[in-house]
Amino acid sequence: MGIEMDPLLHAWSYFRRRKFHQCSDLCSQLLEKQPGDQESDSEFSVFQAAWCLKIRALTEMVYVDEIDVDQEGIAEMMLDENAIAQVARPGTSLKLPGTSQAGGPSQAVRPVTQTGRPITGFVRPSTQGGRPGTMEQAIRTPRTAHTARPMTSASGRYVRLGTASLLTNPDGPFLNVAKLNLNNYAQKPKLAKALFEYIFHHENDVKNAIDLAAYATQHAQFKDWWWKVQIGKCYYRLGLYREAETQFKSALKQQDMVDTILYLAKVYSRLDQPLTALNVFKQGLDRFSGEVSLLCGIARIYEEMNNISAAAEYYKDVLKQDNTHVEAIACIGSNHFYSDQPEIALRFYRRLLQMGVYNCQLFNNLALCCFYAQQYDMILSSFERALSLAENEEETADVWYNLGHVAVGIGDTSLAFQCFKLALTNNNDHAEAYNNLAVLEMQKGRIEQARLFLQTASSLAPHMYEPHFNIAVLSDKVGDLQRSYIAAQKSEAAFPEHVDTKQLITQLKQHFARL
Amino acid sequence: MPESKFREVLPKQGKLAVEDVTAMVLCKPKLLPLKSVTLEKLEKMQREAQETIRQQNQRT
Repeated sequence: MGIEMDPLLHAWSYFRRRKFHQCSDLCSQLLEKQPGDQESDSEFSVFQAAWCLKIRALTEMVYVDEIDVDQEGIAEMMLDENAIAQVARPGTSLKLPGTSQAGGPSQAVRPVTQTGRPITGFVRPSTQGGRPGTMEQAIRTPRTAHTARPMTSASGRYVRLGTASLLTNPDGPFLNVAKLNLNNYAQKPKLAKALFEYIFHHENDVKNAIDLAAYATQHAQFKDWWWKVQIGKCYYRLGLYREAETQFKSALKQQDMVDTILYLAKVYSRLDQPLTALNVFKQGLDRFSGEVSLLCGIARIYEEMNNISAAAEYYKDVLKQDNTHVEAIACIGSNHFYSDQPEIALRFYRRLLQMGVYNCQLFNNLALCCFYAQQYDMILSSFERALSLAENEEETADVWYNLGHVAVGIGDTSLAFQCFKLALTNNNDHAEAYNNLAVLEMQKGRIEQARLFLQTASSLAPHMYEPHFNIAVLSDKVGDLQRSYIAAQKSEAAFPEHVDTKQLITQLKQHFARL
Repeated sequence: MPESKFREVLPKQGKLAVEDVTAMVLCKPKLLPLKSVTLEKLEKMQREAQETIRQQNQRT
């Protein structure tokens, strides 16, 4: 028998090594002993320490950074009572992506997401939602793009995660939060903080969390900035943005923290006041100069406002401070790719590879950059690797779709056919693949087949101009001018600056005038 | 310089003009966005959650 480690220290060591399950099990064993037979005279008994450690371990298991988590459900998006103006002035809103000042490549080069924003080089939980303009668009989203997934309610994901963690514990949850006397716990600041994080992150019980925080901040005589930030977080989750703003501001007065600045800016961007959010970031930069998360926040807002060139500037600033920032590298890389500099984009993606990023998306991007930078030796092996690394069918579909482009580029039509078909086998809702198949079918002269594909594409993704425009061209060719005109108008709505659409419409108008 | 030195050259045969035909457009190649750490963690937790729920259902 070797020397046994003190169980509490052992559990703590598990916690430090992020082995949370073992830590939690060991703490449970400690907690099963009677609390009475420990030394109960000290302020913190072993029992309390084990309890505290266990809830911290349980919290860490499901912890996600609250700053990054930002999901709007359909209800939050459509029934938004916080909008200041229904029709915002250009450049002051995140809702109108069309109000861009300048800079970015046009839609003819860079694909757009459902909401009409150019696709970004990096997805975060909050970029997934997007802000659809109409109810119809909002409901339609789940069938069109897996990158823009709405939820019926913002709390949906949290609740699902919560139920799962319940199921893993056969004897029910560790704590019954409803039965706790929160006021008692609030008297003990050290326990209260751990308990709060447990209730907030693990149980997702915002109501009880805010109760506890309110007691605790009262007990601290409103002098503890940490509790104010927590109350603000709760208000944010409850959708009370103005109240959250007050809490964050008050916390900032007491203690200047980067985190609080980020939360405050998040409130403003949820309130659709990007300019105020930018101001908050810039003021923060005065006090914390060169802070990466602030710079990155500014870049994200510019990107959401469709001001790509300004976003790129700030991403470059980020890289000056932290040259391993994946988000900045990915965004700059995709900017270069879509502004016709694939060689430079290739260097950025290669840098990511050197840094150890190893996934399907990266290899797919590398392959595309290689193809357009005419480094043909690397293309197919990169695509192969991307296919083998794909985690789900949507990713596989996207890789096959891009491979189809390479096939089109080298003129191998039958390979292109197969690639696009494979993309559709993997993801039946791949509108781009339908559109490209239609173009290939048209080249072979199969008009009806092409029309079918185009109609599918246009109903799957009404935000893309290509299928509408192609329907217009096709109908124009076969003499169906009325249908051509309708489709051309849809295409113009999706992409107002498209020259070919404009020409087609004027042609058709001349036709109609002559009749 | 006398103008006669440069004679006007007008091709009389071969391809003389290009008519601008509206061709159908392909959708553009799509760079796949990389995922943030938070998103990956969320997705991983969600997958695990679904897995545990599935196992639980199978047992009952």
